[in-house]
Amino acid sequence: MNQQNIARERRVRVNLAVSFVAVGAALVISLLVNGDLPKPEWLLLLLAAVAFYFDWSAVEVNDHLFVSTSALVQITAAVVFFDSNPVVAMVLIAAVSLFQPADFRERRWFQPSVNFGQLVLTAAAAAFVFAYLAPETELTAQNLPQFVGAAVAASVVHGFVNFTLVQFILKTVYGSSHVRQWSNMLSITLPYLGTGALAALLGGAYRLIGAETLPLIFVVFFVSQMTFVSYSRLREAQDSTLRGFVKALEAKDLYTRGHTERVAYFSDLIGTKMGFNGTRLERLRWAALIHDVGKLAVPRDLIRKRARLSGEEYEQMQKHVHLVEDLLAEVDFLQPMVEIAAHHHAHYDGNGYHGGHEHPGTPSLEARILAVADSFDAMTSTRSYRVALSQEYAFRELRRHAGSQFDPDVVEALIEIIGSRGETYGSPDVDSEEEARERAEGIRLDG
Amino acid sequence: MAERRINGISAFVFLACAVFGAWLLTLSPVDPPWILLGSAIIAATHLITVPAPSGEHLYLGIGAATAVPFLVDDLATFLAILALGMAFAWGVFVAQRNEHVFAGPHFLAEVSALMAFASVVVVVNELSPRNEFGDPTSQLLPVVTAGIVWFTVRALTRSLVGLEREDLSARFLWLLALEDWAAIVSLFTSGALFGLAFPEMRWWAILLALVPYAFSHLAFVRYHNTRVTYGQTIRALAQIPEVAGLATMGHAERTAAVAVAIARDVGMHPDEVTELEYASLMHDIGRITLNEPAILRAGYTDEDLARWGAQIISEAPFLERVGTLVKEQHRPFRSVGEERDETVPLASKIIKVASAYDQAINDQMLSPLDALELLHLGSTYDYDPEITASLRRVISARGDLHPANL
Repeated sequence: MNQQNIARERRVRVNLAVSFVAVGAALVISLLVNGDLPKPEWLLLLLAAVAFYFDWSAVEVNDHLFVSTSALVQITAAVVFFDSNPVVAMVLIAAVSLFQPADFRERRWFQPSVNFGQLVLTAAAAAFVFAYLAPETELTAQNLPQFVGAAVAASVVHGFVNFTLVQFILKTVYGSSHVRQWSNMLSITLPYLGTGALAALLGGAYRLIGAETLPLIFVVFFVSQMTFVSYSRLREAQDSTLRGFVKALEAKDLYTRGHTERVAYFSDLIGTKMGFNGTRLERLRWAALIHDVGKLAVPRDLIRKRARLSGEEYEQMQKHVHLVEDLLAEVDFLQPMVEIAAHHHAHYDGNGYHGGHEHPGTPSLEARILAVADSFDAMTSTRSYRVALSQEYAFRELRRHAGSQFDPDVVEALIEIIGSRGETYGSPDVDSEEEARERAEGIRLDG
Repeated sequence: MAERRINGISAFVFLACAVFGAWLLTLSPVDPPWILLGSAIIAATHLITVPAPSGEHLYLGIGAATAVPFLVDDLATFLAILALGMAFAWGVFVAQRNEHVFAGPHFLAEVSALMAFASVVVVVNELSPRNEFGDPTSQLLPVVTAGIVWFTVRALTRSLVGLEREDLSARFLWLLALEDWAAIVSLFTSGALFGLAFPEMRWWAILLALVPYAFSHLAFVRYHNTRVTYGQTIRALAQIPEVAGLATMGHAERTAAVAVAIARDVGMHPDEVTELEYASLMHDIGRITLNEPAILRAGYTDEDLARWGAQIISEAPFLERVGTLVKEQHRPFRSVGEERDETVPLASKIIKVASAYDQAINDQMLSPLDALELLHLGSTYDYDPEITASLRRVISARGDLHPANL
């Protein structure tokens, strides 16, 4: 990116931050001037503290949880304070959510300022909808359904405004390529239906039964949140354990060092380019990470051998690789990944090596992606018997074998994504196998 | 206790529950259909298991039972619902278990714990002047007290009927409670929430109590599954040296089984037991290095193997502690002329003993008694006699020392 672009992006960011803070602050001040604080104040403080706690310690769980905790607490507050001042309650609690640990750690100024305006606007819009739709009478068991309806509507508005504002910010700062498609709208709005209904019930329980329900409800959410934290830590532990073993494998061999991580990176790029997301992308990444673990069990001198392996040696190597694959396939969640990894030597047209099993036919798309990523890195990195080949050579080779060994779509996706990211791999001008080998000889003779 | 006897007792308890419940049904002022509905809910919720963090399974039934004291006005109805509920639950247990797993032990554990729960609720309501049935808000104290008793009685019964280790200590119970409190608390809280909300909110109360509970349930299931697959991953990785022909097949698995049993026997904290389990599974992972011919030619010591293993394991940041345990496994528990070396971790000493025992049996083909003899001979420096004594208890409980195996 050139200087001009950087300057432009900075200017856009400052403008955006200033206007969002100004709008947010104006809204909060005018609300506070024109209306009283909701009563009782201690409850507002308590709910704000709960919102702060859940937002501060939020965990990334890589799938859809059908609730947004900050929206949940805000709408609960709207129901609790429906007859004093739901708008102020929601807006104040929303403002609390702007504190994110990551912003403090990385000393960011843009995110919190934009978030402040965004959160306040979202909450205000939802709160006005709620105040308009909620019944004016006392909350009873009979009219609870009306409150549920109002809360669900408010929640959906919350989700919609939030999505739109975030899209607007992304588009203004980063350009339209970063905007998520509107088709995502439905999957994002759907959870808000449940959030709204639950919030109405929580608020209704407080109004109908009394304050003793609050600690009970809080405890259950606290326990779930705590367990989700342990769960995500455990997943991370599992992830890092496998990565650690891959590292240990590569550490022994200078020439394959980093190979696995690079293959995982390329697979990830291709996968994203081809529209993978969520679990499918994660599965591809894992398959790339384990595609070489089998070599841990293969004697080193076989792996490092310069000459072509004899049939017997090849057989021995494959036997060990299969034994490890069978071991890993016993781990429930790794099984699909092992399947992908086992087929990454299979050819697109159905020929070639199919992981030792008779599996005629085209390998899965994941295996095809892994095959391209693996071959690309193999060509563009240095081996014991040759230096790295150039990127152009690798692209040419991939294209030459596209349709037979490789999937043409996958090859084009890789070439396109590497080109558009402006990354280069391999030695600049080594354009044939012979040259690469000669150069390796030369280096060795000189060294 | 023999399984047949346990099944006999549980059938008897089922009959007692059914008769007692039917008698109470006639005493209760509430219409029988309502009581039957309540007890059917209690039985049905025993179909849903909740995986607690320790790996134990709880039943949603106790959550349903917690709601009952909040909802009833009199003692007879309360006891009728629980007694009939457990009588129906017997059917659930029998229908669910196949012929290999007997319903008896599980039923006995649940029924005795629930009866203890009911008795404590009744006693607290009778003793405390401010507590009485029919006043939902006054039921929190009885339920909390009863919950603690429920947990203890359940663990004790499970131990008695062979679902849990036999020698339950107060420490073990405490550790179990420490691990599983989250699951137990969310069950009890959701039940209480439903009980409090139902009179005011009617059927909305189901959603109010169930939705938050569903989140915690989902979290427990996720945690449990990940824990299982993490264990599987470590098991798979630990076997790589074995399939590569660099270590004896099955050694890691067998060593881990013995090591974990010893750790439980000496009363280690559950977290430490998990660490020890991983460390003992991977204690020979350093042998992967031996597929480098240069290293084989140069020669290596046990210390080298332990260090290499620790290096590999330490690549995973979460397994730092496990790496240390593996690294220290070669160290003698005391050196020449010294007192005990307190810096050697207990877990490392356990791995050393467990691994040596398995090697003696499966590599040197010794009998269990001869293997013990070998360990005793090394009790000056290598094998801590206290751990060897524990090993003896463990393998004798396992049946290794049975005359038929010698």
